[in-house]
Amino acid sequence: MVAIEASSLSKTYSNGISRKRRVEALSGFSLCVESGQIFSLLGPNGAGKTTFIKILLSLTRPTSGSASILNVPLPDDAVKGRVGYLPENHRYPGYFTGPQVLRFFGGLSGVQRPRLEERLSPLLELVGMAQWRDMKVKKYSKGMLQRLGLAQALINDPEVLFLDEPTDGVDPVGRKEIREILRDLKRQGKTIFLNSHLLSEVELISDRVAILDKGKLLRVGTVDELTGAGGSRYLIGISGHLPEEAQTEAQATVIRLETAGETVTAECSTPTELNRVIDLLRRHGVEITSIARQRSTLEDSFLSLIKREVAQ
Amino acid sequence: MKIFLLILGTSRELAAKATLYVLAGISTLVLLFAGLALSSATSDEGTTLLLFGNPVSPPATAGAFGDLVAKMETGFAAGLFAGVVLFGMFGTAGVIPDALDRGTVDLYLSKPISRWELLAGKYLGSVTAVFANILYFIGGLWLIIGLKVGAWNPALLATAFLMTFAFACLYAIVVLFGVLTRNMAIAIIAGFLYIFLVGEALQNREFGLYRISTNEVYRAIVDGSYYLFPQISAMQSNAMKFLSGVDMDWRPFAQSFLSSGAILGLAAWTLRQKDF
Repeated sequence: MVAIEASSLSKTYSNGISRKRRVEALSGFSLCVESGQIFSLLGPNGAGKTTFIKILLSLTRPTSGSASILNVPLPDDAVKGRVGYLPENHRYPGYFTGPQVLRFFGGLSGVQRPRLEERLSPLLELVGMAQWRDMKVKKYSKGMLQRLGLAQALINDPEVLFLDEPTDGVDPVGRKEIREILRDLKRQGKTIFLNSHLLSEVELISDRVAILDKGKLLRVGTVDELTGAGGSRYLIGISGHLPEEAQTEAQATVIRLETAGETVTAECSTPTELNRVIDLLRRHGVEITSIARQRSTLEDSFLSLIKREVAQ
Repeated sequence: MKIFLLILGTSRELAAKATLYVLAGISTLVLLFAGLALSSATSDEGTTLLLFGNPVSPPATAGAFGDLVAKMETGFAAGLFAGVVLFGMFGTAGVIPDALDRGTVDLYLSKPISRWELLAGKYLGSVTAVFANILYFIGGLWLIIGLKVGAWNPALLATAFLMTFAFACLYAIVVLFGVLTRNMAIAIIAGFLYIFLVGEALQNREFGLYRISTNEVYRAIVDGSYYLFPQISAMQSNAMKFLSGVDMDWRPFAQSFLSSGAILGLAAWTLRQKDF
């Protein structure tokens, strides 16, 4: 089943007093997210990530194109009862306590009072806020607000969860806890749509990732597909220095080859290329002491894609 | 159900602000003063109104004494009306801009509620909070005057509804500017400009705007504007007439109901067009 679908979405904002200055936040953006996945949308600031979520939640109207959530064409207010949202920089009434926030926004989500009371304590427990339940929100730290925000997004037991920078301001222990919560929600069959700048975290939990820049979709795939796209990197330990002729010859064999002291870093697109480098080194009498595969990270792939886009 | 939640939430939001407490505080002081100062004495000649035990009116028959008390109540109510406009607008003008603020509007509109429901909930919540303040003062005054002076005037209680209605019509303008600009200061300024400048100029057009030109088209525009906007001043004077037992004109209330409904409709339409 498709949880989220967008087809040729475009959004142009008109700015300035005369509203003549136009900013294209999304341009022909199409995407399909299967249900039960953790899907992450990455992109630099201003890429259009938040605009996309806002269009899905009818906070912003698209200039053109269409979208649906759980096969319900948008805009549709009723489908939002099946969705949870943690916005970036959310603001809760400071005079409320955590449970009051959950009761209020749960009620607005259409959750009946008995069900609300039933879900309240387990949710506060889940996000680690049970001990602060009587504290007013105005006294919360940024991390506590994020935890409460996550509980608020979950109060209606949503089928699709949109999280915009969910670990912003949360300490490393809290971030790990949130990752665990998200994995658990995925196990329950929920679809999680994540916007985050923390690529290392996204890499740890996402099933699929899309990279967006200047409103355009650059790439979409699994983390392996995205990180594998730039080739694998191998660290080859050698004793002594690499002879210059070996270095020149090897550079023609692989994508990139760098030497630093007794370490040779070779970027190869296939294992055959690696074997060619090994053969070459042995032919020049170089003694190999170790070989280690260094996986390229999502951050590497992201930066390389964005750099390529800027260069174009 | 969701609108009811929004009304409750907005009243709770206003209860957390100090502005309406100032109005409640002033009301309490006036009520305490009235409770301590007012009393009446009845003799064979009639009933006399006493202020701190000293007679302030000649002995009067029951009917004439009732008229005197109604005049006094009119004075109190007129003072309250000014207080409601001043503190009520200051207290509630931020409700719409705050709800449309980034980080807050996202939370509201990501829920299964429509934009008009959000606007209606916020509007009615503010009006409810102001009504509670008015009812506190008017209800208290009605009890004090009834208990201490012996004059139970049901028109005084009804005035609470008329005053709230007048505030609700004025607040529609504040809401419209709140939606248009998302700025509390501009919404307040718009409200005050309307009540003290535009509204007054239109109400007293014979003595001001009519003198600018005798052109019929111009006068038709001025007259049309008068009937297009809520007639706050006319409603206030008619509410006071009602309290004094004088025949009142219901037309300003009916016309203001229609025009403020149209203004709220315009605010809802504007909100529907906005991107957040």
